[in-house]
Amino acid sequence: MSAGLAARQAALVDALVAGAPVPDGFDPVRLATTRRALLRKRAGEAARHWPLLAAALGPGWPAAVAEALDGVPPGGSLRDGWDVARWLRAAGRLPAGAVDELAAREVATRYDGSGAPRARRAPAVRRGRGSVFVQVGGRTLRLRLRNR
Amino acid sequence: MAEGVAAAAGVAAVAEPGAGPATRLGTGIGWRPEIAGIVAELPGLRFCEVIAEAIDPAAPPRGVAELRDRGVPVIPHGVRLSLGSADGLDPERVAHLAACADALDAPLVSEHVSFTRVAGRDAGHLLPVPRTREALDVLVANVARVQAELDVPLALEPVAALFDWPGDEFTEAEFLTRLLDRTEAWLLLDVANVHANAVNRGGDPCAVLDGLPLDRIAYVHVAGGSEHPGDTAAGDPGVYHDSHTDPVPPEVFALLGELCDRRLPPAVMLERDGRYPPAAELAAELAAISAAARFAPPAARAAAAGQVVPAAAGVAPGVLR
Repeated sequence: MSAGLAARQAALVDALVAGAPVPDGFDPVRLATTRRALLRKRAGEAARHWPLLAAALGPGWPAAVAEALDGVPPGGSLRDGWDVARWLRAAGRLPAGAVDELAAREVATRYDGSGAPRARRAPAVRRGRGSVFVQVGGRTLRLRLRNR
Repeated sequence: MAEGVAAAAGVAAVAEPGAGPATRLGTGIGWRPEIAGIVAELPGLRFCEVIAEAIDPAAPPRGVAELRDRGVPVIPHGVRLSLGSADGLDPERVAHLAACADALDAPLVSEHVSFTRVAGRDAGHLLPVPRTREALDVLVANVARVQAELDVPLALEPVAALFDWPGDEFTEAEFLTRLLDRTEAWLLLDVANVHANAVNRGGDPCAVLDGLPLDRIAYVHVAGGSEHPGDTAAGDPGVYHDSHTDPVPPEVFALLGELCDRRLPPAVMLERDGRYPPAAELAAELAAISAAARFAPPAARAAAAGQVVPAAAGVAPGVLR
């Protein structure tokens, strides 16, 4: 349609969500403000899919999202929150209140970190906090552990 | 019932703009699942809008179907069609918007003057296009493509943005006027966006109103946002973010008044997308919008409805009645 404009639009999107440099002619301060606003918006949307994770971090949620997802193109709020949860877990910072939420998601759904999450076909087991989640045939059972 | 008839008459008016007296439909709201129960009970609700991407045309949410069946006009509002994409539209998204319009008996549909996706990338956000002839040609071609698949009119909403592209050839008002002229689309004017743009990018919001073809307004959005402090060390003064999560601020009400001083819009609606208030607060906010837009209160309207009035008289131009 318009190859020149398409390339300029792509460069702008890359600068806003994929960590690319600011394209020529744009105000870098304004684009940085926009980048932060987009991350704040993603935090709000991801909180709807990950209520326990967002609640566990409380006022620190938007900052955690901004830290984890700056430069990561948006993949929808389910994946955004998932990326944040895994990033926190890898850093040893996943709040206790969110461990079960992540375990329940991962036992039912396979997410490779780049494509759309898909329901698991095979049975799976994930350890939560004081519970074990067992998924068979698409149904998830939560088994409470007596002695931890 | 009356609304359904009026909506159909409104569509007819598109073929003959200015054929009737000025249409004054009233106040509506953006339907969201979180407030479905409240919306169903809102007194004097004259229309509503649903996010097209959140709707399955084969099985619309029950609350939306009930409003439609009550005769409340339902407008599908697209947010991810990306009309400004210079590499063209996704045909499935165009078909989806058209299917939503059919399923909801919509009098019109709306989308944004923006792009969200391009070349396999998705910003997940409504981004502005440059105000250039090149971008205008892209928008006109994409809008024509959508209009060809729609059985109802399309209204275009200018977005709020925090930055401008380099090399703009037109002012916002000039750009939009040319776009509406070339596409014959209607205008969905978001006064909260006009306010946000004035705060964040500078300029006089009233001058924007003065430059727009207000006779092309199909309906109006109002919403409340929040202010975010910037990084002053980096020269960032902070922004007003039109997040739809707060009460409508006095400045937006004032701008709605400025609009009404210039031309009374056919219909006005509230967008609320989070931190939902209790039912009474939401109803009070709608009543305040109704008053600011100078619509007759429900009691006066009921009295008027008791008179013998020829069908469709008193409702008029604009796509939405």
